[in-house]
Amino acid sequence: MSGSRNPVAGTVPAIAAAAAAAGLALLLAIAGSAVREARHDAAGDLARMAAALWELPGGGDAAVAAFLPERARIEAVAEGGTGAPADPGAWAYRAGTLEPGARIGVAAAGDTSPLPRTATLIALLGLSLLAAWAWKRRRSSPPSRYPAAPALLAVGLLAAVAGAGKAWADRELHLVSAGQAAHAARAVGVALATGAAPEIAPRVAGLPWATAAALESPGELWTMPREVAVALAASPSSPPGELAYTVRVRGATYHGAAVALRPAPSADTPGRAPDTLHLALLGYEETRSPAVPLAAAALGSALLVSLILFLLPLSARPRALRRTLAAWGFLAPAGALLLVFTFGPLLFSLWISLHEWHLVDPAHPFTGLDNYRALLADGSWWSAIRNTAVFTLHVPLAMAVALALAILTRGSRRAVRWARLALFLPSITSVVAIAVVWKWLLNDGYGLVNRTLEAMGPGSAAWLTSPDIALATLMAISVWMVVGYQMVVFQAGLASIPRDFYDAARVDGAGPLQRFRHITLPGLRHTLFFVLVTSVIGSFQVFGLVYVMTEGGPLGATDVAVYHIYREAWEFLRFGNAAAMSWILFAVVFAATWLHFRFLERRGARA
Amino acid sequence: MPDRAAGTPTGRPTAGESRRPGLRAPVRLAASARAVLLGAACLLMAAPFLWMAVTSLMGQLEVFSSGRLLPETPLWSNYPDALTAQPFARYFLNSLIFAAAVVTGQVATATTAGYAFARFDFPGRDKVFMLFLATMMVPAVIVLIPRFLMIDALGWIDSYQGLISTELVSVWGIFLMRQYFRTLPRELEDAARVDGAGRARIFWSVGLPLAKPAVATLALFAFIDAWKNFLWPLLVTRSMEMRVVEVGIAAFHSTYEINWPYQMAAGVVAVLPIALLFLFTQRYFVRGIQLEGIR
Repeated sequence: MSGSRNPVAGTVPAIAAAAAAAGLALLLAIAGSAVREARHDAAGDLARMAAALWELPGGGDAAVAAFLPERARIEAVAEGGTGAPADPGAWAYRAGTLEPGARIGVAAAGDTSPLPRTATLIALLGLSLLAAWAWKRRRSSPPSRYPAAPALLAVGLLAAVAGAGKAWADRELHLVSAGQAAHAARAVGVALATGAAPEIAPRVAGLPWATAAALESPGELWTMPREVAVALAASPSSPPGELAYTVRVRGATYHGAAVALRPAPSADTPGRAPDTLHLALLGYEETRSPAVPLAAAALGSALLVSLILFLLPLSARPRALRRTLAAWGFLAPAGALLLVFTFGPLLFSLWISLHEWHLVDPAHPFTGLDNYRALLADGSWWSAIRNTAVFTLHVPLAMAVALALAILTRGSRRAVRWARLALFLPSITSVVAIAVVWKWLLNDGYGLVNRTLEAMGPGSAAWLTSPDIALATLMAISVWMVVGYQMVVFQAGLASIPRDFYDAARVDGAGPLQRFRHITLPGLRHTLFFVLVTSVIGSFQVFGLVYVMTEGGPLGATDVAVYHIYREAWEFLRFGNAAAMSWILFAVVFAATWLHFRFLERRGARA
Repeated sequence: MPDRAAGTPTGRPTAGESRRPGLRAPVRLAASARAVLLGAACLLMAAPFLWMAVTSLMGQLEVFSSGRLLPETPLWSNYPDALTAQPFARYFLNSLIFAAAVVTGQVATATTAGYAFARFDFPGRDKVFMLFLATMMVPAVIVLIPRFLMIDALGWIDSYQGLISTELVSVWGIFLMRQYFRTLPRELEDAARVDGAGRARIFWSVGLPLAKPAVATLALFAFIDAWKNFLWPLLVTRSMEMRVVEVGIAAFHSTYEINWPYQMAAGVVAVLPIALLFLFTQRYFVRGIQLEGIR
């Protein structure tokens, strides 16, 4: 059997792994070169600004020294030499050493992120392991029935690394262009300080656009698009002094900077208040890194190859082949939708959780496990998890009530019919409407519950406004909501227990309690387990009740996990954090389900 | 069907009565105690709905006057007033469009996929099926964020396609249809094949008509789930024109915070369609739950 039936099984993944390794190097090289180029350009711009400052009346040495940025250093004075920047630090700029007409070289500066290298290493390691595994498998064991799986895995790795490379490149480019805006602002500031006319000052920065309220007749060159000007003016804090900020207009990012204009005190404008000069330049556009289309193409071709490999063994049997094709034809609508809207998002969510992902900020820096690490220390998140766990304790209570009701309604047909409507309605109607009516019922001063309690004696309680009992109140409402559904499931389970068991037990003299303990409970074991698992999963996701009734309050007493995630993502716009939270929640739910399962399994085996 | 099973002639009380005449009185006592208990439970369960209906007919200040349980004169005008204070007609239309599209989509995807899993023998079938089922264990909140970002990237926020597209497939529905198709005899389909019908035609004119009861159950649950869906519409709709009823009620609640009669009127109108639907389609619900609960 070994390897003879399907010789391609082992070699295909090995080839795929090799191809992926080659592609990987290429993709990262492309991303790296894009960043390098942008830094180079930025350095050139800085050099031009320094030169412009040098040439300004009143400029020169001091102006250039004031302009010296932190991220790039003026480091070379080359007379007649090449304009290209040399190695950073080769020449240190010293004030007073520049001659008029000297060339100013600025080295491209940038902190080298370890990400591309780390990612490449990990991916290469994975790929080589994969290749070795495939090779070994080819020789030692019967071929896999799914030869394409390792190939797909390889492509997945490739796509992941490619995506990481693109994200890294985007982030670096974002930093470069934001830094450039800040430098430009500083250059303008320095120029103005030397006494240059406000109209000339922006030219120093070599900016595509700059505008200011103070500029009386801005030339055409300095007119930025109206939307950008409006967005800059409306940007959150009117920046004092010199500050760089970012606005997004029509999908493009503009890095803006503002400089306070301090006109030199002269005879005609004494004591004029400083105006603010706004600058803007088109920031980075998304890297047109070919990584994503390449990865998509690779994924597509891998799918195609795997499909062919999958169908190849069937081609000898045309009927089986036709049947398989027909089956996949029937599965296609559901499969495609699940792929796009469930399986894809699952991976995407994992991906998001490894990034700092803000909705409004186009840069999504890769942060590894930082989100998870921060969450481990985040008290409010764990208190949300604790609240959720406590909330889940309503499930056993609801199940007990539901079981009692199911037993109560057993046997009489008419009662079941009518009881079912009343009992079932809460679990199928609008959660929001239910939440609103309960909010009214439990109103502190005028709610029916408190009024009744006051009339009867015990006095009123702050059901939803006291941090001590708000969660318990929600649990009680939740019991009320789910009990009808659980009852119907239990009724179905009870109906499947053979009557003979009860008759036999009665003949043996077993009382009602004994019958319940030894026949009903064991007979309902699977039903109980099913209800428990689905209810626990459901109760871990409670949202509507909290959203309408308490908004997580009072004092976070009812802040449950899904509500916490909702606020993190859609209120604070921290999607990366929220995605990490949702995975932690999944881990908790999964662990709980698994523990239940193991526990019941062992109990079942012993019984 | 529990109502049939629970009411079988061999049901416990009747059997006990006929077999042991001496126990007649205690059994009857137990039965009436049971009826009382059950009645109390039903009243407790229905009370919020009754209070909702009562409050909806009171005056805005009348509800705050203590000791008043019934409205002095039913204020029917609360209904038209509340329902026109915000565009509830539009909310209902949106909910209907949303639910109808979800029902159509889920029936289409679940019947075809369920049929494939039940009737075709192909390599990897059981593994794919398990993979599908495994998604039921995943909390929906995990896919919420990526789905939202995807819909946002497509520019579908605040549109019907954004609202609907993610909800078109239900793994529970696939499971339900698979189970149902497996219980159907193959003979009719075999006969159709002998007559020369293709697979698609067999599915359409033999398999699907036979599965009508399960389709009805699935459609019902899909409708209710879509109608009740709150979080997803809350996230992907922005404008008033795109809101569904659930989101509309929540927004109404925060706008008319202290006008309880208005809110209760809106609540009654939101609950009523589902209650009526349930009243007339009870047995499909029960069948769905039965098929789900007993695996």
